[in-house]
Amino acid sequence: MHDVNQAKESYYLDAGAWSRGWRLLLAGAAAGWAASLYGWATDAYDFHGSYLVNYLFFLSLAWGALFFVMIQHVTTAAWSVALRRLMENAMATMPAMTLLFLPVALGLNTLYEWAKPGFLNAHDPNMRFKAIFFSQPFYLIRSGIYLAVWSVLAIALYRNSVAQDAGGSVDGAARARRWSAPGLLALTATVTMAGVDWVMSLDPHWYSTIFGVYVFSGGALAFLAALTLAALGLQRLGMLRRAITVEHYHDLGKWMFGLTVWWAYIGFSQYMLIWYANLPEETTFYHARFASYWSWVSAGLLLGHFVVPFVLLMPRAAKRSRKVLGLAAAWLLIMHGMDLHWLVMPSVHPHAFHIQWLDVATFVAVGSSFGLAFWHRLRRNALAPVGDARLAESLAHHNA
Amino acid sequence: MSESRLYGAVAEFQTPEDLLEAARAMRQRGFTHMDACTPFPVHGINEALGIRRSPLGWLALVAGCAGCAGALLLQWWTGAVSYPLAIGGKPLFAFEPSIPITFEATVLLAAFATVAGMLALNGLPRLYHPLFQHQRFQRVTDDAFALVVEASDPKFHATETPALLRNLGAADAQLVEEGD
Repeated sequence: MHDVNQAKESYYLDAGAWSRGWRLLLAGAAAGWAASLYGWATDAYDFHGSYLVNYLFFLSLAWGALFFVMIQHVTTAAWSVALRRLMENAMATMPAMTLLFLPVALGLNTLYEWAKPGFLNAHDPNMRFKAIFFSQPFYLIRSGIYLAVWSVLAIALYRNSVAQDAGGSVDGAARARRWSAPGLLALTATVTMAGVDWVMSLDPHWYSTIFGVYVFSGGALAFLAALTLAALGLQRLGMLRRAITVEHYHDLGKWMFGLTVWWAYIGFSQYMLIWYANLPEETTFYHARFASYWSWVSAGLLLGHFVVPFVLLMPRAAKRSRKVLGLAAAWLLIMHGMDLHWLVMPSVHPHAFHIQWLDVATFVAVGSSFGLAFWHRLRRNALAPVGDARLAESLAHHNA
Repeated sequence: MSESRLYGAVAEFQTPEDLLEAARAMRQRGFTHMDACTPFPVHGINEALGIRRSPLGWLALVAGCAGCAGALLLQWWTGAVSYPLAIGGKPLFAFEPSIPITFEATVLLAAFATVAGMLALNGLPRLYHPLFQHQRFQRVTDDAFALVVEASDPKFHATETPALLRNLGAADAQLVEEGD
């Protein structure tokens, strides 16, 4: 005989917990945006720099989610089905993230050197080709295309998955798979280009062909870390207690470990080629990041974004311990923030290591807006794809 | 054949649940030299049989570290000690260009140790196994779940052990000889 309470799984968030979270996020958004607006009015340059870092932080979680959901669909993965709705909720923040791009677009003239009048007329032979890309309308059109591609993919996959909750048909799984294969191609192409457009172009003279992949890899890793924390948090609230098991955490740990190596591999690939060629137009990027306090951040990234999680996540026991895994995930998210700060800030403030209160204000503003878009999805829909035919297989998932 | 030593007893179960239950019961009775043969991986069988985790991961780690250190030492010694050549204004030894070789050697040695270690720990390659003597053994690749109790087990008894296995729900329990 099964105990009724044991057999019943909480696939829905109770209204009280939902409202508490919603109110907290609303308060965060109000305070964050008020402070950010004040910062924008007093120092637009500092605001746009901080905003870009924090926008990229939460956007990368959303595109990481979209990437990961589509990977699950094309591989018809069963282990992850119990976690898939959490990923989908993060992915479905994409339309909100599109709206949050507005301050980035508005900061074009402030933050990006190439957008300033007269820049393109300067005598730099490298600029002849780049001038095509460095036109404001073309930049905005490109950005709009990226955001539209991500939003359409995210909403189509989300609606498809929620429609499955009623149960019955397996057509939804096939439809999601058909969307995901071209979707992955579209996503990787647009994300890498967005990395080039939004981040690399901060330093308009510098270029690195792998740069977009670097931005992508950091985001994919950060999303896995955020997913681990979201799962741990919901379980602490009493949700999905039986659906998400140590076996799922073990696999999330493997993914985090693998993506840590991927991030380091891409980061090193870029660094080694530039080190070896030693060309002045290429070394500027590292020159700025090896100067003064920035060199500590660079060393900190090597240690904290690679060595520490690599060693920490290697043992099987670590991946199967909620405590260690939660700690590693939180650490990796901090490192991702540091990585984005390291990518953006030395170009914005080339002369000194720079931390400002707007970093916190814009983090709260963008974070709670992202949180509201995420939390809003938890109100009505189940916390797991309860109508998916492979859910039972996922619940029984077991690592060898 | 008749003077051949005994290898052990093979009990055949119809479902993975019966097998797991019998394995746990045998372990509770103090049996330690046991194995299971099943048509597909049965979750929880390692724990039920008391099989400890393989040391293969440690082998891979040690070999990987050896590959890492070996590659770094080789590049440093050849480039900066044995035959120093200054090329393109680069240092005789630096970590930056040494990482790809170091990475590859780490992966290569770890992979070799994993494959070789897996074979060695499993006692492979091995062309003959006493269980092949058992008439119904082929069925473990189809629909039967076999629990093997080896004669080397201190608790093993040639008549009592098969009887015990039958008591635990085995459809069939037979003795198997070494048959070398």
